[in-house]
Amino acid sequence: MKLTLDVWRQPDAASPGAFETYVVTDATPEMTLLELLDRLNDQLVAEGREPVAFESDCREGICGCCGVNVDGRPHGPERGTPSCEQHVRSFADGDRVVIEPLRSAAFPVVKDLVVDRSALDRVIQAGGHVAVDAGTAPDADVTTIDHRTAEMALDFAACIGCGACVAACPNGSASLFTGAKLTHLATLPQTRAERGRRAVAMVDQMEHDFGPCSTYGECALVCPAGIPLSAIAAVGKERMRAFLRGRAT
Amino acid sequence: MSRTDAPGTDGTDAMGSDMTGTTAPGTTTDAGAPTLTPEDVRRVGEPLDGRVPEVPAEQAWDDRRLHYDLVAPANRRKFTVIVVGTGLAGSGAAAALGELGYQVECFTIHDAPRRAHSVAAQGGINAARARKVDNDSVHRFVKDTVKGGDFRGREADAYRLAQESVRVIDHMNAIGAPFAREYGGRLATRSFGGVQVSRTYYTRGQTGQQLQVAGANALLRQVARGTVTLHTRQEMLDLIVADGRAQGIVVRDLVTGEVRAVTAHAVVLATGGYGNIYCKSTLAKNSNATAAWRAHRRGAHFANPAFIQFHPTALPLMSEWQSKTILMSESLRNDGRIWVPARAGDDRAPADIPEDERDYYLERRYPTYGNLTPRDVASRAARERIDAGHGVGPLRNAVYLDFADAVARLGRETVVSRYSNLFHMYEQATGDDPLRTPMRIAPGAHFAMGGLWSDYDLMTSVPGLFVGGEVGWGYHGANRLGANSLLSACVDGWFTLPYAVPGYLAPLLGSHVLPPDHEAVLDALEAVRARTQRLLRNDGTQGPDRFHRRLGEILYRCAGVTRTPEGLAQGIAEIRALREEFWRDVRVLGEGSALNQELERAGRVADYLEMAELLCVDGLDRDESCGAHFRADHQTPDGEALRDDTTWCRVSAWESPAPDAPDQRFVRHDEPLTFQAVPLQTRNYA
Amino acid sequence: MAVPTSTRPEPGRVPAVARPAPTPPPRPATWALKAVMAVTGLVLVVFAVVHLVGNLKIFLGPEQLDGYAHWLHEDLLAPLVPHGWFIWIFRAVMVTSLVAHVAAGVVLRRRARAARGPYRRQGLRGLRGFQARSMLVTGAVLLFFVVFHVLDITTGTQPAATDEFVAGQAYANIVASFQRPAVAAFYVLAIGTLTLHLAHGLWSVVNDLGATGRRLRATGAALAGGVGLLVLVGNLLIPVAVLTGLVA
Repeated sequence: MKLTLDVWRQPDAASPGAFETYVVTDATPEMTLLELLDRLNDQLVAEGREPVAFESDCREGICGCCGVNVDGRPHGPERGTPSCEQHVRSFADGDRVVIEPLRSAAFPVVKDLVVDRSALDRVIQAGGHVAVDAGTAPDADVTTIDHRTAEMALDFAACIGCGACVAACPNGSASLFTGAKLTHLATLPQTRAERGRRAVAMVDQMEHDFGPCSTYGECALVCPAGIPLSAIAAVGKERMRAFLRGRAT
Repeated sequence: MSRTDAPGTDGTDAMGSDMTGTTAPGTTTDAGAPTLTPEDVRRVGEPLDGRVPEVPAEQAWDDRRLHYDLVAPANRRKFTVIVVGTGLAGSGAAAALGELGYQVECFTIHDAPRRAHSVAAQGGINAARARKVDNDSVHRFVKDTVKGGDFRGREADAYRLAQESVRVIDHMNAIGAPFAREYGGRLATRSFGGVQVSRTYYTRGQTGQQLQVAGANALLRQVARGTVTLHTRQEMLDLIVADGRAQGIVVRDLVTGEVRAVTAHAVVLATGGYGNIYCKSTLAKNSNATAAWRAHRRGAHFANPAFIQFHPTALPLMSEWQSKTILMSESLRNDGRIWVPARAGDDRAPADIPEDERDYYLERRYPTYGNLTPRDVASRAARERIDAGHGVGPLRNAVYLDFADAVARLGRETVVSRYSNLFHMYEQATGDDPLRTPMRIAPGAHFAMGGLWSDYDLMTSVPGLFVGGEVGWGYHGANRLGANSLLSACVDGWFTLPYAVPGYLAPLLGSHVLPPDHEAVLDALEAVRARTQRLLRNDGTQGPDRFHRRLGEILYRCAGVTRTPEGLAQGIAEIRALREEFWRDVRVLGEGSALNQELERAGRVADYLEMAELLCVDGLDRDESCGAHFRADHQTPDGEALRDDTTWCRVSAWESPAPDAPDQRFVRHDEPLTFQAVPLQTRNYA
Repeated sequence: MAVPTSTRPEPGRVPAVARPAPTPPPRPATWALKAVMAVTGLVLVVFAVVHLVGNLKIFLGPEQLDGYAHWLHEDLLAPLVPHGWFIWIFRAVMVTSLVAHVAAGVVLRRRARAARGPYRRQGLRGLRGFQARSMLVTGAVLLFFVVFHVLDITTGTQPAATDEFVAGQAYANIVASFQRPAVAAFYVLAIGTLTLHLAHGLWSVVNDLGATGRRLRATGAALAGGVGLLVLVGNLLIPVAVLTGLVA
């Protein structure tokens, strides 16, 4: 297959970026999107040109490293699928494909397709954890958790932190990300103790870098972990709950 | 034990003279049959002491904890500890040490601590909680682990693993890992390969992810509290050893290219395994051996590098540009039947091959365990069939995993409900529906049982340098049981290093970290700088990836599932030639003062090219079959691994020759292994 | 190509890489503004529905509608509050809600723009995306319509109102107004806009006020769509009836 790639090239955060056009003539349908970039890079190195920087790690859809915009859509044409599991078979021979970094003011470009997503970690750091020191935990079987509750917590804990939800949002909102973590920790009885404090800390930190939710629902469409849209409602719910009931609980 | 004369300290010819130009005795790099013997490539040095408490193995950990020195709470902040890596072991160690009050400097090559490759483990985490009446116990856990490792791990370490496993589950549950629960609300367990009890705790197929995220979040809690300083996108490129102690590291900021030294009272490496040396492995693309290998080159012995586990249910290579072998959960073997065409070279579609022309080789050879034989046995049998010409798929490099019988027996719905996410994953990766046409699987390099040698306290042969998780070696011997890797990382990070590191620090109270102008610091900085410059200035034509792919091809061929002395010798010769070609022809585009992924890759491949030789040397040297290390010249008449406990019931901990040493052979240090609680016996899964 | 090297003076003094940003979050808080939008939006929706119910009395004839209008102005809530007070309380609530709604909306949209950065999201799919993206535009159209509508039907101010405007004669005023095709067309456009704005707005209310339960969300989604449809159909009946001569 022959594919024409318009790839965003940007040397660093401070410099302006621009699209450059490359042609890969020997793409195959079973290649992943990232393997297509590998192929392109091999070609560029052979020609003495600097390869395209992009992030990836596990290439199994669980680490959350990868993420590029393909024709304007975070991760690529297939819904709910990370970039590493998007395949060239989604394109037709001769297609022109635009590849650019995940777009959000909170994700400054580091280089080419690599962005800085540390704003998400700052949200977790503000309160997405549990104040239990090593060795002090009680027996995990002491508090029983019914099957459904555990499964629901897991539905929301499945977030891989890729940031596609933010890039999909026309408002640059991180409500799906933040709401998923809030729901996960508010659902489990053993992590519920700091619920109010956590909501205040995380939502305040989130609002520092990210925009307001306007219920576009685009985030849940691209989410490779299948986080349900109800996560965005958890942001308001948890924050207002903390406002109305005090931070302590 | 510690060497400061590591490569590149002269600052001019970082890696050139020591590893590329020299030729060890016995090498034949020409086309003739290689004639290497172990003596040509190694000599035997002083034996090593694992410093295991001299009490019965089940009391060792209690005994050792009682004898560790303590640091008073008010004094803890006077100590700085470097933790490299933020996987389960690294984030656990950093968080726990931070909770105790030490100053922790934590480094990760990733943009966030959550990305570490522990995240990708699927199956579960074992724990000897023994709540059921299936007769599980700490002792049985140890027995399974030691026996599963084919008696090449330390028994006392396995006891610690079992004993601390209870607290691991409690702790990970408390910090937010949503373990699967029974309808009655209790923790759910399942059974896993190689054991007959149900002791694996899990969260769907994402156990690693949930534990990793919980651990990373606990780490971020300490960052918020100010006890841990987190440095993201920083790669450790050297270890600073002074006065015989590990006292710091050299890191490169991957975004700015800045190279700097960070000094501390102790260094913990939790940088994972080296499976990526095979290029196409189940590991993440950024998993690498550089931190471990650099530490090795500064004097940390490397234990059993040849012990690498090949996972039987990885996806085979399907195209030239496939970047890795995706792992499918082993649980598929519960209902799938593995077969190949009985006739070699049969290229009919699987549906066209009648039942009596199929060879269900696992069921044929291992009637008791059938398709559920342990990983090493299953991998070997698959490789044997593929090599005998029975492989399937376009590249004839796979075997079938067929669900047709399961569908007939259980119904389509039941099968789909059990494996839907795996089927989905397979279909996404290959475009094939596993219910229409059998899955194609092949063994893929997976887990490194070998690693930096450490004593019972997880301290390497360089005092002050500790290891945690897969970068170390201890628990798994020559073969790891499923769901034991997450456990070993958690136990090391949360419940071993927080005892052992303070025990090392206590006598150092009042000492200061190395000043930035110390000779050892400047030396290490200069070595890294010179090496980086050499890579950048090399006037070659091929990118590092091409060398990595070729190295992987050599290793799969010469040091793969089944090894022969001739093959390993051939591998050593080919690796030396490839390394020579690398330094002659590698091309690293871009600059050193910015994000440069080519430079990162080049540095890692350079280290793999050194390490691969040692891997083959270890395989050549270990003249027996054990666990994942299967030597074709040591097998029973029916093709089973033949251990040699008289000679080889020991750990090979390797030292690399100094660049300017007259004798360029590797040095093997032996740690003898003794088994008190679990007597030596032959593994038998037939 | 130079690789900078440096050492650091003191361990533990490296600037934290992942420390939270020191500056405070935006004030008023985004979640609070969203709550204001949700509550005021809900007030406006309730008004739109009640207003519709009242207006449908046009099909019962002039006496019914005019009597209802008189009751609203003079008698509602009496004797709890004196006669004639309700309408002013109501107007105060409406104006406050409208002002708060618009102000919060503008602030949030500005924050959204800033958070998104210079690269607009491409490739939005479906009605939901269109609705969400056009909230500011539909809101502006509605605001203009509300002003026009008040001038036309409530105050009778020229040029919005007809020459025949008589205060208190609601039925006649409406009929006269809709007999101008341009006004009827603008009204129809405004109702369409209202439906888009209101249906998405209500769905946002469901989310912003924290409905996370599955059934609650399903109910909320159905209500948002249902109310939107009701407002659309109900309100369209009136100009259609006037233009077809059914009501005259």
